[in-house]
Amino acid sequence: MQQSFEFPADTAVLAKIGEATVAAGRSAGFTESEIGDIQLAVDEACTNTIMHGLKEDPSRTFQVVLRWASGEVEIFIRETGDPFDPTEVPQPDITAALEDRSVGGLGIYFIKQLMDEVKYRIDEKGMKTLYMVKRGAGCR
Amino acid sequence: MKITENVQNNVSRIFLDGRFDANTCGEVEQFIRKRIDDGMHYFVLDMENVSFIASAGLRVVLVIAKELRNTSRGDLCIASPQPNVRKVFEISGIDNVLQIHEDVERAAKGFLQ
Ligand SMILES: Nc1ncnc2c1ncn2[C@@H]1O[C@H](COP(=O)(O)OP(=O)(O)OP(=O)(O)O)[C@@H](O)[C@H]1O
Ligand SMILES: [Mg+2]
Repeated sequence: MQQSFEFPADTAVLAKIGEATVAAGRSAGFTESEIGDIQLAVDEACTNTIMHGLKEDPSRTFQVVLRWASGEVEIFIRETGDPFDPTEVPQPDITAALEDRSVGGLGIYFIKQLMDEVKYRIDEKGMKTLYMVKRGAGCR
Repeated sequence: MKITENVQNNVSRIFLDGRFDANTCGEVEQFIRKRIDDGMHYFVLDMENVSFIASAGLRVVLVIAKELRNTSRGDLCIASPQPNVRKVFEISGIDNVLQIHEDVERAAKGFLQ
């Protein structure tokens, strides 16, 4: 099954993306905990696209494709903001004391922690695609 | 996000209801900042009805907690998160720098000790 959406770069769309992601996770037979993981990863990626990639300009849009089968959900997020490869971002220090801890920089970390595979590519027209997949336990 | 507050013994219990994401984190931040301006130093964020939290929500929680500890010797803690929300506090390591309590009363009592 596959579902494709186009959204304006406005954080108000995040709730709707969350609902669609949860529905896809349910159809694919994931546990509630795994569905929570997928929802968070997709939300972080879309938030980055909206805020960093498209600078919250609601006249610009991005595409979200959800593709699922039993025990697997794949997500494609496409935008034409500045080139940026999230797979190369170093891991934040999550063990620092509160005073030393920098705020932010958790979104990409969550994506990498929670999904089984994350890939980035940019085509010759500047269309960036962030791909991620989650496989259910026993399907890895 | 629906935000309500109940103050007892100088502890502000803030009840959040909805998604705590990049779209709603600004409302929560504004609400708490206003209460800090009003003179409150101790906050319990009750998350029983928070269905989802993203890094944007964590950012607000961390920024405010840091500020309270640095400038007014105040503090902020979390109460009653759902399992999915608790997991986000855990994988970010925030459970090591902020108290997370099972219920709001216990959280508020923690400040009085
Ligand atoms: N789609 C994107 N386009 C351009 N830059 C991006 C994109 N995604 C991430 N970035 C850059 O990578 C940085 C790290 O992203 P990450 O999501 O880990 O943290 P953050 O968004 O800064 O904070 P947080 O997600 O914790 O609220 C961002 O600050 C931004 O500079
Ligand atoms: Mg981010």
